[in-house]
Amino acid sequence: MSIVPKETIEVIAQSIGIPNLSPDVALALAPDVEYRLREIIQEAIKCMRHSKRTVLTADDMDSALNLRNIEPIYGFASGDPLKFKRAIGHKDLFYLDDREVDFKEVIDAPLPKAPLDTAVVTHWLAIEGVQPAIPENPPIEAIVAPQDGKKMDHGKDDSLPVDLKLPIKHVLSRELQLYFDKIGELILLRPETALFKEALLSLAKDSGLHPLVPYFSYFIADEVSRNLSNLSILFALMRVLKSLLSNPHIHIEPYLHQMMPSIITCLVAKRVGEQVSDNHWAIRNFAAKLVSSICRRYGHVYHNLQSRLTRTLIHAFLDPSKALTQHYGAIRGLSALGPSVVRLLILPNLETYMQLLDPEMQLDKQKNELKRKEAWRVYGSLLLAAGSCLYDRLRLFPGLLSPPDIQPWKTNKKIALTHLPNNKRKASSTLNSHQPPTKKLAVDPTGANSQFPSTDGPATSSSCGSNPNHHHSHNSSNNNSSSAGNITNTNTNINNATGSGALAQRMAGSAVLRQAWKEDMDAGHLLSSLHSLFGEGVFSFIQPADMHLFI
Amino acid sequence: MEDEDIEKAVLTYLRKKGLKLTELALQEDQSRVSSDASHSRSQNVADRYFDGYSRLRSWAYNSLDSYKHELLCVLYPVFIHCFMDLVAQGYMQEARTFFHTFREDHEIMHLRDLQKLEGILSPSHLEEMELARISRQNKVKIRLCQSSYGLLQQFIHKKCLDMLGVINQINFEVTPGQPTSISDDSEAVVLVGASQDLAREINQKELHWGLLEDSVEERMEKALSDSDKTEVEGNKEGYPEEINKKKTDGNKQGTSFSNKKKKDKAVGATGKTTRSETSMGSVAPRVKSELTGPQLPPEVELSKFEDLRNRAQLNSLALPSVSFYTFLHTRNGLNCSAISHDGSLVAGGFSDSSVKAWDMAKIGQPGRASNSQGENGSMQGMHSLASDEAKRPYSLLQGHSGPVYSVSFSPFADFLLSSSSDNTIRLWSTRLNANLVCYKGHNFPVWDAQFSPVGHYFATASHDRTARVWSIERIQPLRVMAGHLSDVDCVQWHPNCNYIVTGSSDKTVRLWDVQSGECARLFIGHRSMVLSLAISPDGRFMASGDEDGTIIMWDLSTGRSVSPIMGHNSCVWTLAFSCEGTLLASGSADCMVKLWDVTSSMKALKTDESKSGPTSRLRLLKALPTKSTPVYNLRFSRRNLLFAAGALSAGS
Repeated sequence: MSIVPKETIEVIAQSIGIPNLSPDVALALAPDVEYRLREIIQEAIKCMRHSKRTVLTADDMDSALNLRNIEPIYGFASGDPLKFKRAIGHKDLFYLDDREVDFKEVIDAPLPKAPLDTAVVTHWLAIEGVQPAIPENPPIEAIVAPQDGKKMDHGKDDSLPVDLKLPIKHVLSRELQLYFDKIGELILLRPETALFKEALLSLAKDSGLHPLVPYFSYFIADEVSRNLSNLSILFALMRVLKSLLSNPHIHIEPYLHQMMPSIITCLVAKRVGEQVSDNHWAIRNFAAKLVSSICRRYGHVYHNLQSRLTRTLIHAFLDPSKALTQHYGAIRGLSALGPSVVRLLILPNLETYMQLLDPEMQLDKQKNELKRKEAWRVYGSLLLAAGSCLYDRLRLFPGLLSPPDIQPWKTNKKIALTHLPNNKRKASSTLNSHQPPTKKLAVDPTGANSQFPSTDGPATSSSCGSNPNHHHSHNSSNNNSSSAGNITNTNTNINNATGSGALAQRMAGSAVLRQAWKEDMDAGHLLSSLHSLFGEGVFSFIQPADMHLFI
Repeated sequence: MEDEDIEKAVLTYLRKKGLKLTELALQEDQSRVSSDASHSRSQNVADRYFDGYSRLRSWAYNSLDSYKHELLCVLYPVFIHCFMDLVAQGYMQEARTFFHTFREDHEIMHLRDLQKLEGILSPSHLEEMELARISRQNKVKIRLCQSSYGLLQQFIHKKCLDMLGVINQINFEVTPGQPTSISDDSEAVVLVGASQDLAREINQKELHWGLLEDSVEERMEKALSDSDKTEVEGNKEGYPEEINKKKTDGNKQGTSFSNKKKKDKAVGATGKTTRSETSMGSVAPRVKSELTGPQLPPEVELSKFEDLRNRAQLNSLALPSVSFYTFLHTRNGLNCSAISHDGSLVAGGFSDSSVKAWDMAKIGQPGRASNSQGENGSMQGMHSLASDEAKRPYSLLQGHSGPVYSVSFSPFADFLLSSSSDNTIRLWSTRLNANLVCYKGHNFPVWDAQFSPVGHYFATASHDRTARVWSIERIQPLRVMAGHLSDVDCVQWHPNCNYIVTGSSDKTVRLWDVQSGECARLFIGHRSMVLSLAISPDGRFMASGDEDGTIIMWDLSTGRSVSPIMGHNSCVWTLAFSCEGTLLASGSADCMVKLWDVTSSMKALKTDESKSGPTSRLRLLKALPTKSTPVYNLRFSRRNLLFAAGALSAGS
């Protein structure tokens, strides 16, 4: 009947030395005990209210007992609410987690820090009814929305003669305006000064800047498009962006869509900087880093951010009509998004792309010194991207490189391969003729891909991975590494991979592709394909421990 | 007893005669009858209540919409009485099931009562528990319109006679006209100890809610109007104070004229003439002080003048600036805080029985702080203290032996009052940082202590269900106000010092005449314990806040609630009126300071006063959230700057 069962009463009776309490007495006592308990708890709640708290503490119970002239229960006083633990196996049995403390430990322990003394600080909660945006006040975002709602329905149920003010969209305090102007001036005029560094620090740390974020995002977008030729300003703008992104008090997510275009512009713009000698590579790198940090932080909240970004970048990357600088930016951007993006989007296209890139890098084919340098840059970035991807693979699946039965064979192969790259590049093949003239490769029919069927089967399988239809047949070719039997197969691969404008089909098949890659995690084969493209440069990405397998 | 004796006699007779079989048969029969009877009786009674109530309930829920609300009001008292009747007759088990079956219906409105009543488990508890005893003794009053009453009567007589006994516990006040709708639920049934009749009787008494004559404010006006050589009448219109008074009182014409006349009258008149004026409802009437207050030192008066001159005008468009005092590192120990009128002194009462006072002017200037301490060095025993205090940014006032539940500054911040759970109130000098007097008289923890607006007197509220009025120079209380049925939780002075108001755990607010010590008004309407009170500067309205976050505005003269509003999500710790009475500020445990528009709601009240329905609502002007800092204390300075104080809660 009562919440307190009579068994409890019996147990308590036993504990205070009444061994045989008759069940009737226990039954009669139980409701009364519950009543008294409730009474005392109600008194305790009173004490809690007068201590201006909303959480009941052991002290309140003690005061309540005091009010009733009952001895308080000693030993439970604490500043914090008690931490109860649920007993395992019971739904509603709780106990206090009271650990046994070793006396020695307590004695040996260093003295705890003296608690800070109570202090009073003042701040303005409101100035003429408006809350200033200072750290002491809660962020404005939290306030605005609910308040609007309240005002709205207040207006409705309120028939009073109300002098309603029209809602003002955005009020910027004078201080903030000044701050904004100052930052803008610093960016445009003196981006190299120490003052600017301070400003960046302030942007990254200060709270209360939130109202300025829309202004900043607009400002940055505006200035980036206007100052594409001025590297230092671009750099300053990107730094400001970085600071804003790192500010913990700013809720920047809603503005990302405004900021991304300017970052991507910096990343893949055709020309950045005034002179060719300007170090526009640095700003591309910086932008790539920003992109990656944004994706890491907001990728999961802003659901199509990553896909949109990669689509933009891959478009830039796969369009041979774009300048090499743009390709460079795209590769940097993609590789900044992580090894899996590289694996899924760059590696399948690597083959084809190298065909495009190769002639640009050769002294005899590309006379323009600058162009050649650019090409080498792109080559470097590709190597870095592919290499880090490889490194990542190896790290994830350390065992992959050493399947014992195939290994010696493979190693031989690799060593043999190391001598090949030079031939490879120069070799031209008749197999080109198999290939239908697609619009992409027709531009540059150097036929660098000709060596695939003739030299090594595994190498081609990287490109074959891009074609899900042929994937399984290739697995077998990986396993026995029989180069001979795959000529037709690879051929179709090449056709498929390079033809069809590459992108559309690949995108459509990407789901299948991902699945395929998951199955095919043969890093060795990845390595060999990379090696075929980059030569020994790839080895620098392999940890020495793994290296010995190949040499 | 007699029956048993007879039975025994019969049994012994049968035994004596050796009629074994008959004896057995008789015994068997008897036991069967008795068990049957008791069983069926208990079944009957419990079922009767259960059936009766559920029939009444379904009838009420299915009634016509226009009467539904009124009829539903009847359910709650019936429910409570059914439950208590069952308990009283000893059907514990049945009472429990009954309670839990229908509890949900009433949870929204009467959660606190239900929580209390739930604990009743035996007839003796009914006697013991105040709430139960009183609600059994007194009849609840419910207002019904004629037709609903007729409907109810018909239903009871035809279908539900069982409930008649219970229904008779309710005192129906039948009013002609339309049934009331849900919107005016301020008068909905509240189970309070005091009967509404008593309240009505008390609230018939006359009340002089006017301001004190010859106050500084008045003199200020006078001085200003004298300094202008023009006609007094025309001039007074120009003073914002006057205008505001006019606003609140809604008297459109002849303000200054009647005021002037009244002043002349009041000066020479006895209390009666002022009384008659009050009842006429004229503009902020002036009343004579019934307490002899201390003389103001001239420099204090000067500063008051200065403040009045520089006062910022507040209204719904011009909101105040709020300065927030945050207590850090309190480790849940801060129980209360107080701010002096100019914000220069802040005091906190702690659960470790200490009182700490900060001089905000001295913070950041340690040199000066130690200098001023030097003066006290001459006092005996102060040397060590002084050296100690040089390190501390505050003055530590130790003396209580239990948690300190309230602190209050005297009007000129020269004294500090603290009340504690050790049943005492202590008076401290803020200049000497020393305890001057310890007032003993309460028998239980003193929840609240407040200095009167003129100083010298103070009022206290205690767990012993009394409020007391003291003067600082006597260690015995001058008045003991008894009448509340539970703890007196908060106390506040009326601006004219002739009254105090107290809020209690019995969910009522009472207004007491300081001179006679009698209860002059009883305000019924809160649903949980009253935690905070404030009276408008013109002395006409009072605001009270409770545990659930409700804020109710009351008209002191009628004793009616003007606008109940769910102001906060949690306990309303503090309320404050701006100096002209145009704004009300409320601070709560939900970490908000809210500003309410008093003027417009009261204006609206004036215009449709004839309808006599509390229809107006306080309008929320601004909600100012703090950073996880519950607001313990609010105070408007004389220049209308709002000070707020609270302790940063440990969670952040």
